[in-house]
Amino acid sequence: MRHTPATLVNSLALAGLAAYLVWSGATQPNYPLRVLSIAGIYGLLALGYQFIFGHAGALALSQATFMGLGAYASGILALRYGLPFDVALPLSIGAPVLLAAVVAAPVLRLQTHYFALATLIISQVALLVAVEWQSLTGGANGLGGVPPIQLLGTPIRAGWPLLATVWGFVAAGTLLAWQLGRGRLGQAWACMRAAPAAAASIGIDAARLRFVAFLLSAAYAGLAGSLYVHALRVVSPDALAFPVVVTCLTIVVVGSRLRPLGALLGAVLIVQLPEWFRDLRDYSLLAYGCILLLVIVLAPAGLLGTLEDWAARLLPTPTPPTPAPEAPSPRTTPNAQRPVLEIRTLSRRFGGVQALDAVSLTVRPGEALGLIGPNGSGKTTLVNLVSGLYTPDTGTVRLHGTDITAQPTWRLARAGIARTFQTVALVDDMTALDNVALAVDAPAIGLLATLRTGASDPAQATARAQAAHLLARMGASDAAMQPAGSLAYGIRRRVEIARALAARPTLLLLDEPAAGLNETEQADLAARLRALLEDGTALLVIEHNMAFLAPLVDRMACLDAGRLIAEGLPAAVKSDPAVVEAYLGTPEPAPALQMTP
Amino acid sequence: MLALQLLFNATALGAAYALVALGFVLVLNATGAVNFAQGELVMAGGFVALALDRLLALPGLALLPPLLLIMAAIGLALALLAYFPIRRRPADTVFISTIAVGIILANGANALFGPEQQTTPALVGTGAWRPGGSESGLVIPYQSAATILVAAGLIIALHLVFTRTQLGRRLRATAQDREVAAAIGIPVDRMVAATFMVGAALAGAAGLLLSRSFFVSPTDGGNYMLKAYVAVTIGGWGSIPGAVLGALLIALFEVAFPALPALVPALGPYGTGFNQVWSTIVLDGIILLILWRRPQGLFGEAVRVRA
Repeated sequence: MRHTPATLVNSLALAGLAAYLVWSGATQPNYPLRVLSIAGIYGLLALGYQFIFGHAGALALSQATFMGLGAYASGILALRYGLPFDVALPLSIGAPVLLAAVVAAPVLRLQTHYFALATLIISQVALLVAVEWQSLTGGANGLGGVPPIQLLGTPIRAGWPLLATVWGFVAAGTLLAWQLGRGRLGQAWACMRAAPAAAASIGIDAARLRFVAFLLSAAYAGLAGSLYVHALRVVSPDALAFPVVVTCLTIVVVGSRLRPLGALLGAVLIVQLPEWFRDLRDYSLLAYGCILLLVIVLAPAGLLGTLEDWAARLLPTPTPPTPAPEAPSPRTTPNAQRPVLEIRTLSRRFGGVQALDAVSLTVRPGEALGLIGPNGSGKTTLVNLVSGLYTPDTGTVRLHGTDITAQPTWRLARAGIARTFQTVALVDDMTALDNVALAVDAPAIGLLATLRTGASDPAQATARAQAAHLLARMGASDAAMQPAGSLAYGIRRRVEIARALAARPTLLLLDEPAAGLNETEQADLAARLRALLEDGTALLVIEHNMAFLAPLVDRMACLDAGRLIAEGLPAAVKSDPAVVEAYLGTPEPAPALQMTP
Repeated sequence: MLALQLLFNATALGAAYALVALGFVLVLNATGAVNFAQGELVMAGGFVALALDRLLALPGLALLPPLLLIMAAIGLALALLAYFPIRRRPADTVFISTIAVGIILANGANALFGPEQQTTPALVGTGAWRPGGSESGLVIPYQSAATILVAAGLIIALHLVFTRTQLGRRLRATAQDREVAAAIGIPVDRMVAATFMVGAALAGAAGLLLSRSFFVSPTDGGNYMLKAYVAVTIGGWGSIPGAVLGALLIALFEVAFPALPALVPALGPYGTGFNQVWSTIVLDGIILLILWRRPQGLFGEAVRVRA
């Protein structure tokens, strides 16, 4: 591992936490150790919450429900059927995971504010069921007499054995969370949060990754609930009430939204706070509210993130060398002789506006087609329809002869359509290299692949080598190790094109690639794009800038008010009377058209 | 006659809910963010009314003007603490900061007034009006009638401010598009602050209206919050008339559900099931169904997501 200031901060924090736990276990009486054990349990809960809230970026308010379900499952199995903690564990983790899987279908695709509401309502229902279903749950008083944690037939005593057992689970959970968050899966989540449209455009199925995060958060909550009920020896509706969500949210916001160690530090601080300030005990929630507000406003990265920022400012950060470039193998396409893209009578209406009206177009293999037209003529609508951002009202789109009409963007990306955006969409705090590397074989990123990854990830090494090659091809090698957010506009555009290429497209859609570039940069970009055609990647380029477009493309098509009004060789389209009229609004044929921006 | 009585009760309850939902949706439109403290502001309104009553010993209606002022000040504090410092960050940041303010309000009220349920003064008096004599069975408590009138008065006043005054036009422009509003010289920050003040004042008024019949305790906020949230969701995210309509629909459901066995004799054998618990569970189920099948609400969303 590289020794960056961030790893230094994390190592120091880990060592400090471990020393504190060992010192407490050796010297403290039972009660503080019990509190510290509870802190560990909240740490597990928060580690799980980091997946859905931190990585997937969805404000779930149901974390207490999953913890409560794990607690009730484990408690009831122990009291009614005499199942010890470890034997019941698959069920106490499985039950919340099952609930998460069931509710995920309707709620997980909702936007943030609806998702928060849906999870809030689910937790209200769960609380009501726990209180009202008295024959099973013991009602508002809950169930007492739960046996202590038992591992392989050995009951765990209170005091340091309980502390060691709980924190043993915490250590395992932390290791797993770290493994899942550190590599390409963590970057895929980051891309999905920061630039969802871009994530889809490189073949990332955001719904699946969010689902994985939701299930993981439920699994951690189930384990936390199970430990909780055997540590407290009672199960009551308190375990799934809103204050648990508040505590969990506070821990993650105060510690760190993404770093596993941050969840543990946050839990140790927040859970012990009312113990350290005895006067505070009755007002612990009031204090949590104030702390939550202060940290949100003053230190949005949380304690650990803020420490990392300070360390990065004080200590020199070594810039790792750019990896040696390696050319990706081109995609082998069945039906390579068929037209890359066939659009037939494609229409789309927005309210009262016919944005696209029965447009038919073809892009042949290795061809560059320029798409021109005045503002509002439907160019971007066409690209959004082809790349799956919108669904057409009528018409079909075929890729190499296969009907791909109305498929979601991530599927189209996997089939070979890549695109760039009018406003560049990169993950700002990832390096340019990693932005591009993420798109290399992005569909392979998943839970199982990440679990199998060892200390170094060969898939990531290959992806970075190919990304270095693509950045060099687009003339952006110097930017490779810089954070994408720090780059100049023109470079960001090149990085974005390199990322689109990393998905190995057979068709690349470029939305105004020359906007904001000076003439030298435009000429350079055009030359690099022409070189792509020689590899067999077809281009569909939206552009206003004729000086850039005319030499780049083989053919040109012009849209006006949603209809196709001209198609043919660039010179012919440029002087077509209908095109001239669309741009200039004069019925007379212009003698020599100068269409520069 | 029972149906008429239920309709009246639902209108009285819905009128108060509508104020809460209106405050929620106005802040939502002005900031693009969910104000999760809206329910706690209702609770705070109830306790402010209680404090004012101890101080002034006037009928509830006379407490309304000072209550609105105090709540507006609380709304301003909310904006200054939990919105303005983080307004350039993602919308879910404001969601969390207002959760924090809600916790502070609830536990602050608990420290100041204690955890018990308390009741606020009646708006005008405690009697009831019985149109059609005692045989008709129709009872119109003064409190409910005054609740409807006060809520309607506030909503009409708000409508006039929004449609007939320069301030209202500026507030609407800010809600529609902050950037364009700023570009044409509207002091957007002041307009957003004013919206928080109006939102809190409406919640506070609802607190005064509701805390007579339903009492007030520090933990009430979450419940009112959920009602406003749900009203705005089923009415169409961002729609002002939708928020009012959504609030009335929720109130109608809450009033009608326990009365269903009386209205529909066939349900008689299951009468015990029509209690508070099942009312909440059934309503929650309906909301989840709406979120699943029609996330744009029953009448369509008013705010479009800007790319």
